[in-house]
Order: sequence, then C-alpha cells, then structure tokens
Amino acid sequence: MILEILAIGLIVSACLALFLDEAVYSVASLAGTFFFTALIYALDGAVFVAIFQFAVGVGTLTVLFLSGELLSEKVVKKTSPNKALALIVGGVVLSFPALFLSISGSTSAGVNIAFGNGLWTLNGMDVVLQGLVILTVALGIFIVLYEKRNGGK
Amino acid sequence: MDFVILSFVILALGIYGLLTNRQLLKVFISIELIAIAATLNFVTLTSAAGVGLGQAFLVLAFSTDTAVSAVILALLVIVSRKYGTGDIRQILKTMESKEEGESEAYDND
Repeated sequence: MILEILAIGLIVSACLALFLDEAVYSVASLAGTFFFTALIYALDGAVFVAIFQFAVGVGTLTVLFLSGELLSEKVVKKTSPNKALALIVGGVVLSFPALFLSISGSTSAGVNIAFGNGLWTLNGMDVVLQGLVILTVALGIFIVLYEKRNGGK
Repeated sequence: MDFVILSFVILALGIYGLLTNRQLLKVFISIELIAIAATLNFVTLTSAAGVGLGQAFLVLAFSTDTAVSAVILALLVIVSRKYGTGDIRQILKTMESKEEGESEAYDND
C-alpha cells in the first residue's frame, strides 16, 4: 500500500514539475520527485542507492534553485488552481497502469524467463542498441559537418 | 504494482516534456525525469533478478548522471546569459538573425 501511494506521488510530482508555470514551484515539485524516488528505492531494499539518490537530488536542487530564475522567463503567468488540480488528477490517472497492470512477472519472453529478469539477463541487447545509437549520432554529426564544409552545395 | 510500467510512464512524461516544452528549465527537468526512469528501472530489475552487483552499477550510473546534469546545466546557463532569455524559440530566432546578418556583411565585402 505504501509503495502504491509513493508511486502515485512520484508521477503527480513529475507532472507538476513539468507543467507548472512558476520556476520555483516546478523545482519544488522536482524535489518531491527525488524524495519519492529515494523512498521507493529504500522500500525496494536498495538503501544505499536511496541515500545516494537523496544526496545527488539535494545537490541538483540547490543548483536549480540558484539558477532557476535565470533559466526561466522573467514575466510568467501564474498557474491557476484549476490547472494544478487537473495536473494532480492527470498524474493519478497516469499512475493507474503501474498500479493495476503487470508485465514483470506474468509474461515470459519465450525462454521461460520473466520480463524483468529477461531485461536484466539479456542486457547484451542493451549494449548493442546503445552502440547503434552512438553510431547513428556519429553518422549524423559527420553528415552535418560535411554539409557545412561544402556550404550546402 | 509494477515498477517497469511506472518507469515507462515517467520515461514517457520526460520525453513528452522534452519534445513540447520550450523553456530551458523544463528541458532540464525532462532530462532529469528520463534519468530517474532509467535508474528506477535499473533498481527494479536488479531487485527482480536478485543481483546485488546492480547496486554497485547504480552508483556508477548516478555519478555519470550527475556529471551529465552538471554539464547540461552549465551549457544552459551559458546560453541563457548569452542570449538573455530562456526561451528556445527566441534563442533560435536570435541565432538565425545573427547568421543572416553575418552572411549579408560577408556578401557586401
């Protein structure tokens, strides 16, 4: 039950951090996201990671509070209470799939391993995909530089 | 309760924010959300597979994440100070007008 509440809080705070108009409230919501994530890690048995997440989150938020005003617009409209309420309701609705659906333990990837285990066990695929992404980025940079050198001719 | 779906939802939120927001601060928050989704998925998978080594990998992932965040934030601050705004569209417009001005001056020479 506690994990479910934390999951709802995590998604709601993520929605608020993304869509609130004021920079300070947005950063405060991001603080909530970090806090809920650290609590979920701790309850999931990864206490060391939770402490690390908390420390990293505090550092990031300190810098963001200092530079948040610089990165946001000077004149900004205020978030209406209706929009904030809609964001909270939207966040709760978005957390429903995580609460009521399950893919980790129920499905198998054809070789009698659960989806979560499969993702971890077959992480060689992850390395290959990351290699493909890096190759694509390198190719893109090469094409852009080539076009720039030839002046778009 | 499924943490894989939870991390997918947060990843989707982060990507949506990255594609739709035009404020530099929101772009940074979107990148943070994507990083949170990745690490949450990692923690869940290590717990599911019963691999204790995963936590050690996670500390490395956090360190990389923090370094990436610091570099991104530094770049965003430099850009916003240079162009005097945090709006991506305005920054792009300023860059385009500056480039056009430079090419016109080059043609006149």
